[in-house]
Amino acid sequence: MILENDAAECPHDWQQIIAATLHERGVTAAAYVPDTRLDGILVRLGQLGTSLRSLSREEECIGYACGQLMAGARAAALFQSSGLGNAVNALAGLAVPYRLGVPLIISMRGTLGEANPSQIPGGRIVVPILDALGIQSFMVRRADEVGQVVAGVLTLCFDAHESAAVLLGPELEGCRERA
Amino acid sequence: MNARDVAVALLRLMPDSIFVSSLGTATSALRAASHDGPHFYLGGAMGSALPAAMGVADALPQASVVALVGDGELLMSTGMLWSLSAYRPRNLIVVVLANGVYGITGGQPLPLPGGFVQAAESLGVIAARRVASEEGVREALAELGRPALIEAKVDQDGWPGPSPFVDPAAVRVAFRTRVDALAERRV
Repeated sequence: MILENDAAECPHDWQQIIAATLHERGVTAAAYVPDTRLDGILVRLGQLGTSLRSLSREEECIGYACGQLMAGARAAALFQSSGLGNAVNALAGLAVPYRLGVPLIISMRGTLGEANPSQIPGGRIVVPILDALGIQSFMVRRADEVGQVVAGVLTLCFDAHESAAVLLGPELEGCRERA
Repeated sequence: MNARDVAVALLRLMPDSIFVSSLGTATSALRAASHDGPHFYLGGAMGSALPAAMGVADALPQASVVALVGDGELLMSTGMLWSLSAYRPRNLIVVVLANGVYGITGGQPLPLPGGFVQAAESLGVIAARRVASEEGVREALAELGRPALIEAKVDQDGWPGPSPFVDPAAVRVAFRTRVDALAERRV
């Protein structure tokens, strides 16, 4: 499996910063649905010893992370924004009411520079969905702001027990969009 | 069997196991059978109980974890059978309360009941068996490897216990207290 291969690459600084911050804050498991820009984060997490779980749907990632958090471990969920709709029921019926503080690392599609019309409506609804759930979200567009934002989101999740999201904007390196 | 019979048998046979129950019938049956014991009861998020149970199982590799789920619930998360097969948690067993109806919404029939054993077996990793009695539950628990899936036929009607509408904060605190106690016992 490529993500467990030590030789696999984590090409961008911002990906390494996210992985390092998750690791430093005690995240030991990451559940994800694959995305090109998440690969580098996951490769580095794997190198740091994080348990990686590639699951079949985004709501599985939320459920899995909630189980980890209920059991006293720290986990994060990573997926593309197009899958947020799949995760709404798990967020609304589990993560939020049980105050489990799930960190969401969401790779944005359907926004600046998006060429696929089918991605655009899904991109528009990300922030409104999260707002409606009471989940704060923070867009990062530059590598030099990633560390501070991720650290702050993890504090919201693990200390205040509020789920929160980091939105990876298309301006970051490694995007398929032509921003 | 009714749903509560299944939960009672599981608790008797696996008294130290940690249970994760799906919303509706499963949570109500487990609440009744365990007298509101410190388990992870879901009150919503249909389809999330099995992934949550796998998260608990991975986080607590020394513990035995049981996912007690309805058949309608598992229909919503059948992809998890692939995930279980991929990662093979050796401390997780899935027990499906197979009554063929959506209990919490009024007893409407599943369009195609059953089939969970065949689906699990087709993946080649999950040990699976269909049972229709408490003795069958006992034999399956004793004989199946892990991860395992038991499809328990529930053919007696009736709501199995108290309301499945749990207080999430109370569930979280009780469950974490139990998990912390388990950790202290291992130190």
